[in-house]
Amino acid sequence: MDPQRITQLIENTHEIQGRVRRSLREIDRRALNAMVLVKRHGNVLAGYGVIASAFREQAAKLQVAAETLQHGVEPLIQSSMRLLQIQNYSHSIQTMLRSIGEGISLGDLPETERRWEADIAKEQIMIGEIIADLLRNLERFQEGIAEQEYVVTNGRIEAALVESSGVPLSRVSREMGRAVAEVRKAIAEWKQQLEEFTHESSTDL
Amino acid sequence: MKAAPIFETSDHRWWIIYDQEERRVIDSNVYVMESRGEAIILDPGGFEIFPQVFSAVAEIVQPSRIKAAFVSHQDPDIASSLPLWNACNPKMQWYMPKLWEGFIRHYGALEAELHGIVDGGGELLLGGRRLEFLPAHYLHSSANFHVYDAEARVLFSGDVGAALLPAGHGAWVDRRGANDNSGEKAFSDHIANGAQYFHQRWMPSEKAKTDWIRRVRKLSINFLCPQHGAIYSGSHVTRFLDWFSALPVGSAIVEN
Repeated sequence: MDPQRITQLIENTHEIQGRVRRSLREIDRRALNAMVLVKRHGNVLAGYGVIASAFREQAAKLQVAAETLQHGVEPLIQSSMRLLQIQNYSHSIQTMLRSIGEGISLGDLPETERRWEADIAKEQIMIGEIIADLLRNLERFQEGIAEQEYVVTNGRIEAALVESSGVPLSRVSREMGRAVAEVRKAIAEWKQQLEEFTHESSTDL
Repeated sequence: MKAAPIFETSDHRWWIIYDQEERRVIDSNVYVMESRGEAIILDPGGFEIFPQVFSAVAEIVQPSRIKAAFVSHQDPDIASSLPLWNACNPKMQWYMPKLWEGFIRHYGALEAELHGIVDGGGELLLGGRRLEFLPAHYLHSSANFHVYDAEARVLFSGDVGAALLPAGHGAWVDRRGANDNSGEKAFSDHIANGAQYFHQRWMPSEKAKTDWIRRVRKLSINFLCPQHGAIYSGSHVTRFLDWFSALPVGSAIVEN
């Protein structure tokens, strides 16, 4: 595995996680604004109140899911760096084996080399499993976003129904929709990058 | 390993990475300074703890932002991870005592860009901030440097201030009461529990110690950050300098 490829993946992960965090904060803020509006206008907006509350609840769930994703990245980094370590040992031994002339006793060196190779294979399998786990969590996250988008759609309908109240609920719903769309986009990019990484590393993994 | 902030403004930060999980090798701290999107890693650690260190560093700073590494001296717990860091980021520039360059190359990565610091010291501008490489020769290594950030008032002090602490230790010498008399006990406990033996046995020269203390007392220091153990902050810094000043070092010679 190319260490610079994993470093690049970590870089991109950093950037995407930053975007997700910002958007989730934005979602929470929008939901709070909506609830304040509802409170201020009493029974007229009771329907929208249900939507705003569902939106906020769902936003909290997304926050938790984002933390799970975040925790899933650390094992990937550690495992990749352990692989790099073992490859480094293995490479040194291979160089020694190549440079030693025939007929010279190599002691346990070939056996040690086989052991390192086995460790490399083990670590590669582990990395494959960690990525598979991450991808599953990303899919679950995407399901959460789909639910959030369903709430946003309902919010738009509800906003249209109470448009005569003069409260700018359509704008609030639009902003909620935009924030959710940004999370959806960032997560899709992350998933794509992980899939590409898996694909590019498939000869190693 | 865990990362904890030491100093933080909007565009200038210091972190400690501490409490390693692998206990078969000596427990080490790694430090990171970031200024305006550029970072330096100080005493990046040994080969065996590299995965933990890299993972903890990646949590706080994007790896591509690490422009440089500082190596206080030649020991394996300081710099044997060099070939692995270099594999991840070949653009990193390595600052180390000039005297040890050829020795440190034995760790691997012959192509890595090494910059030798001459005996008199030097400085580095990173993200617009000036870091001073202060000579700390014979403390404990014969060519040894510390790093001072005057703006953050951070002194990275390598093995000076080090303590051998048990697993699960904190990043700081207990700060409760650090600035009044009640901090005395916390400080004494820390010294007795892991710092005293380290300094008596690893520090070889009274003359080097006295000269270092004389120079360091002139600096304004809020955080004295050793490579093993915990950070001294506030009045613990002066407590440490006073204690170190009175401590006879080079104990193996005395005992023999």
